[in-house]
Amino acid sequence: MLKDAEMIAARRLMWAYVVTGLAVLGLMVLAGVVLRATQANWIALDPGRFYALMTLHGAGMIVAMATSGMGILWYLLRHQTVLSERIAWTSYALIVAAVVAVLVSVVAGRFGAAWTILYPLPFVGATWPGWATGAFLVGYALFTVGWLLWCVQMLGGVLRLYGGFRGALGVDYVFRPHVFAVQKGRPPTPISLAALVAGVDGVLTGVAGMLIGTALLAHLLDANVRLDPLWAKNITYFFGHALANLTIYLAVAAVYVGLPYYTGREYKSSPPLVVAWWGTLLFVAIAYFHHLYMDFVQVRVLQYIGEAASYLAALPVAVVTVFGALTLIYRSKMRWTMGSLFIFAGLIGWIVGGIGAVLDATVPFNLDLHNTLWVPAHFHTYLLEGVLLFVIGWAFMMLEKASQSVTPVIVLWLTGLGVFGGGAVFLMGFYVAGALGVPRRYAVEPPPGPEIASWATIGALLLVCGLLVALFDAVRLARAPRAP
Amino acid sequence: MERGPIVLVWFLVISAGAVALMIGVAISTRKPPLAQADVTKMWYAIRRYWLIALIIAIVVSFLLSLPWFPYPVAAQYTELQHYAVVAQQFSFQLPSTVPLNKELMFDVTSKDVNHGFGIYDPNDSLVAQVQAMPGYTNHLPVRFVLAGRYTIRCLEYCGIAHHAMQAAFEVR
Repeated sequence: MLKDAEMIAARRLMWAYVVTGLAVLGLMVLAGVVLRATQANWIALDPGRFYALMTLHGAGMIVAMATSGMGILWYLLRHQTVLSERIAWTSYALIVAAVVAVLVSVVAGRFGAAWTILYPLPFVGATWPGWATGAFLVGYALFTVGWLLWCVQMLGGVLRLYGGFRGALGVDYVFRPHVFAVQKGRPPTPISLAALVAGVDGVLTGVAGMLIGTALLAHLLDANVRLDPLWAKNITYFFGHALANLTIYLAVAAVYVGLPYYTGREYKSSPPLVVAWWGTLLFVAIAYFHHLYMDFVQVRVLQYIGEAASYLAALPVAVVTVFGALTLIYRSKMRWTMGSLFIFAGLIGWIVGGIGAVLDATVPFNLDLHNTLWVPAHFHTYLLEGVLLFVIGWAFMMLEKASQSVTPVIVLWLTGLGVFGGGAVFLMGFYVAGALGVPRRYAVEPPPGPEIASWATIGALLLVCGLLVALFDAVRLARAPRAP
Repeated sequence: MERGPIVLVWFLVISAGAVALMIGVAISTRKPPLAQADVTKMWYAIRRYWLIALIIAIVVSFLLSLPWFPYPVAAQYTELQHYAVVAQQFSFQLPSTVPLNKELMFDVTSKDVNHGFGIYDPNDSLVAQVQAMPGYTNHLPVRFVLAGRYTIRCLEYCGIAHHAMQAAFEVR
C-alpha cells in the first residue's frame, strides 16, 4: 500500500507518460489523415513532404504508444514494489528529447526514409541533408536509451519482488503446485507477468535497437563502414516488430485492472495464465521472421519458424488473455462507461487485428499481401483500435474514479459511432485495397487505391470527430470536483 | 478469383464471428448476473476444447501451407530458364518479353537500396513478388498463364520516387 505522497508522485508520473503519449498520438492521427487524404487526391502534397510525414507518423505512433503503456505499467507495478521515480523521470526526459530530435529531423530536414530506416536507404539517393539522418538516428538512440532504462527498471522491480527469475516466471507455481501451496508462495500477478515480458523482451529489443542504431551512425560518420543488408534487415525488423508488439502487452495492463474495476470480479492468477505469458515472452522475440518472407535468401528454416511462431503467438491471446477477459464480463454487473467501453472495444480491435496478422503471416497468403495495404490494415487495427483504446480506456477509468462521475449516454453513442464506426470504415479501406494488391507507402497510388482512400479518409475524419468528443468529455471529467 | 480477395473473405467471416461472440458477451451483462465461480466453471470447461480446436487449426494450417512455400522451388534454380532483374532507384532492368505457360526464374537483385519486385498481370492483380536486395540475388520461380502486358511495381519503400518506380514486360 502506497503512502499518500508516494501515490501522488506515482500518479503524476503516470499522467506525464500517458498525456504525453496521447498528445503525440493525437498529432500523429492527424498526420495519418493528411497522408490518407493525399492518397485520395484530396490534398496535393509533394512526395518529399508525403514521405517525411509518413516517417514522422510511423515513428511518432510507435513511440507514443510505447510511452503511454510504459506510464500505465510503471504505475501499476509501483503499487506492488518500490520503483525509482528518478529513473522513470530520466527515461521520460530521454523519450521527450527523442521526440524533439525526430521532429527536427523530419520537419526541418525533411528526413523521409520511413520509420524502419532500412539500411542502406537513409544514405543512398537521399533528398534530405546528412544532418537530418544524424538527428533522426540520435532521436532513435535517445528513445532506445530511455526505453532500455525503463525496461531494466521494470525487470529489476519484478525480479526483486519475486526473488529472481524462477519466482517471477512462476516455475514452481506451475510445476510444483503442492510444494508452492505449502510454502505459501506468491504466484506472479498479471501485472508482474506483463512487466517481466516487457522487461526481458524490452531489453532484447533495446539492445537490437542500439546495435543497428550504432551501426547506422558509424556508417554515417564513415561510409567505409559497411553493413550486410540481410543482417541489417533482420536486426531492424526484430527491433521494430518486437517494439510494436510490446506496446500491446504494456497497454494490456489496463485490461487486467480495468475489467475487474468495472465488473466487480477478480482477475486471478492461474497456471494457464502464467504459461500463456511464457509463450508471449518467447513469441514476441521470434515472430519477426515473417517480415522477411519475401527475402528468399534468408536462412530457410527461419521462414518456417516465422510462420509457426506467428500462429502460436495467437494462442496465449485467444485462449487466456481475451478469453479470461470475456469470462470476467459474461453475465457480470458490468458498468458501461466511457472507460469500460474503450477497454472492451480495444479487445475487439486486438482480436480482429490479430486475425488479419495471422492471415498475413501465412506464407502462401503473404505472397499476395506482403507490403500491400493489408500490412497497415492489420497493424492499425490492433494499434489504433486496440492499444490506443486501452490507453484511452485507462485514462477514462482514472478520471471516472477521481470524479465519481460518468459520461452521458448520448456522448457515449457519439464517441462510439465516430471511433468504432468511423474506424471500421477507415480500416476496411486498408483491407480491401490490400486484398486488391495496392502497394503500401505510395504517395500516389495506382487504381483503385485513390477511390478506396477517399472512403477511408471519410472514415478517418469520423474517427477524429469521435476522438474529439471523447477528449472534450475527458476534459470535463478532469475539471469535475474530486471525489472525497 | 485471386488469392487476395479470398483472404479478405476469410478475414471478414472469421472476424465477424469473433466480433459477434464478443458483442454477445457484452449483451449478456443485461441479463441477471451470475456468480464469478459459476461463470469460471462454465467457461473453463469450454476453454479446454477451444485450446484443442485452436491447436488443431494451427497444425492443419501450417501443414496445408507447406506445399505452397516458394523456397524449395526457388532453391532448384539451375533447371529453369533464367531472367536477370536489377532494381535501382527508381527503375528496373529486366527483359522486355518472357514466355507464356513455361516455368521460369527471375534472378532479382538491387544496385543500391532494398526494393520490391512486384509483378501485376494484365488485370492488375499481384501474381508474384520478391525482394530486391543489394549484395544478394533472390530467385523467384514463376509460370505465367495469361498473355499480355505485365506491370512491375516496387514493393519496398526505396525513397522519394518509390511510387513511380514501375516497369513492364510482355508475356507471349
